[in-house]
Amino acid sequence: MNTTWNPIKIIAPVVVVVVLIFGSVYTIDEAEQVIVLEFGGKYVKTVREPGLQFKMPIMHTVTRYSKRLLRHDAAPSEFLTRDKKTLVVDSYVRYRIADPLRFFETLRDVSRANARLDAIISSSLREAVASHDQSDIITDKREPIMDEVKQSATSKAEEFGVEIVDVRIKRTDFPREIAESIFARMRAERNRISKRYRSEGAEEELKVKAQTDKESTIILAEAKRKSQALRGEGDAEAIRIYANSLGKDPEFYTFLRSLEVYRAAIGKESKLVLSTDSPLFRFLESPSGKRK
Amino acid sequence: MDEFLNHLRDQFRQNFRSSNIWIILALIVLGWMATGIYRVEQGELAVIRQFGKMSNVVSPGIHFHLPWPIEKRNVVKVDQIRKMELGFRESSRGSGRAVRAIPTESLMITGDENLVNIMVVIQYRISDLAQFLFQVWDPEGTPEGLTLRDSAETALRGVVGSMQIDDILTTGRSVVQNSTKSHLQELLDLYRTGIQVTEVKLQAVEPPEPVDASFKDVVSAKEDRERIINEAQSYREDILPKARGKAEELIREAEGYKEAKIRESKGDSERFRSMLTEYNKAKDITRRRLYLETMQEVLSGIEKTIISGQVGGKSLPILPLGESSLGGKTTSQKGGN
Repeated sequence: MNTTWNPIKIIAPVVVVVVLIFGSVYTIDEAEQVIVLEFGGKYVKTVREPGLQFKMPIMHTVTRYSKRLLRHDAAPSEFLTRDKKTLVVDSYVRYRIADPLRFFETLRDVSRANARLDAIISSSLREAVASHDQSDIITDKREPIMDEVKQSATSKAEEFGVEIVDVRIKRTDFPREIAESIFARMRAERNRISKRYRSEGAEEELKVKAQTDKESTIILAEAKRKSQALRGEGDAEAIRIYANSLGKDPEFYTFLRSLEVYRAAIGKESKLVLSTDSPLFRFLESPSGKRK
Repeated sequence: MDEFLNHLRDQFRQNFRSSNIWIILALIVLGWMATGIYRVEQGELAVIRQFGKMSNVVSPGIHFHLPWPIEKRNVVKVDQIRKMELGFRESSRGSGRAVRAIPTESLMITGDENLVNIMVVIQYRISDLAQFLFQVWDPEGTPEGLTLRDSAETALRGVVGSMQIDDILTTGRSVVQNSTKSHLQELLDLYRTGIQVTEVKLQAVEPPEPVDASFKDVVSAKEDRERIINEAQSYREDILPKARGKAEELIREAEGYKEAKIRESKGDSERFRSMLTEYNKAKDITRRRLYLETMQEVLSGIEKTIISGQVGGKSLPILPLGESSLGGKTTSQKGGN
């Protein structure tokens, strides 16, 4: 018993079996796809199904690629727009390895794919940006530009077994050098708006005050008109009443009124020179009142 | 001593060869199997992959799976609302929170080519765990890394680029939030991230620092305008009632005058009528009496010069009339008071 317990005799076949098993079995992850090659050269098959898979041990090699959506973020760079302004555009691309064999043949790995896509996208982006004005790119032309770039990149990327899912302009910025002039423009615009508000205030103030003064003047004038009318009515009524009553004996009225006038008009400081010829003093020189 | 060591070695070999090796192997196998025991907490889900293929999604509880390399598990909190900051980073340092602004992220162009600083918090949760785990490559591991950040930035900048700065700063905040949310969700669905955006919240929307003062001045100009208009209105409120009061006063005065005038004239008329009635009864004597009474009243107490009718016609010019005028006293006749 002790002599047959030689570890080597047991371990050696186990190692061989294990090597063969592990050489013929491989797994594919949910997010993976593989191509199987014979002696690293001749294409055997593409496997996209995850799970346990079998191959010929030693003869077949497996090259794994991601099935996930991949991302390449190009460094932001300056582009010239149609109206000859520079704009810093930062874009990214989302893609997928659609044909692992072609990808393997042309690019082999993701970092080279990123480099190729960078070149493709930046050239078509340059083209697209150059055919639009700056303001359009900033506002409503983003989507069409991105579609344009995606279209042209898609056909080029197909050759590498790459499917472009999305190209996006993440940021558009003004170049750093012109930031100060942008701020200056913004300040000028704000100042314009401030002035407008203040002037509108002044305008409204003048309008309201003028309207107020006008209304107040009209109110007073109207009141004066009414007041004059009322006074006139009063005077007219008085005239009518006087005429009615005094007209009964105008001579007597004149007499009475004259007496009143004398009473009022001749005061303490008045001096009168009177003649004895006047009826009042006719008795002063003769009791008969008759003139000599 | 040597003997003792030899004995030990023998003992060990014997033990090793016989039963203990199996116990150790069994322990190793048990330990290996035990790595397959796992617990899924409330609010978590686990995804089990068998040889890389997704085989099961497991709900909360204690579970077992075949240990590595046969099966693998990913346990993820799916109910949790997660958040991502854009334009700033918040870090809890000790007791307080420190907020660090990231101008390259927050500064963006508006539709009218102005610049604005916007800080946003995006709240999201995992809606599809399988997509979340296996569909998107991200340098930070899961799509909530750069994929979410890229998409959020793209969405936000796209929305801001289509709006005017004044709207963004004032009334358009909810528009920015809602449009960003829907754009972002579109992108996340397109990339199959398995992420559901629950809320996009604007934390700060402000003009960039170099132009901040000018923007504040616009606000104060707006307030100035309101203030000036209010002052003008208060002038109006002040003046018009006074004018109406004054008008009322004038009218009442005139009405008073009218009534007074009428009453006065009526009084006068009545007096005249009464007098006339009596006068008609004895015209001549009444006339004389009235005249003389008046004369008495008028002439008594005033300075007077009476000249005889016989000399009057000739010598009138040399009489003391001149004296008073020489004396410098001018005869002022005050008209009827």
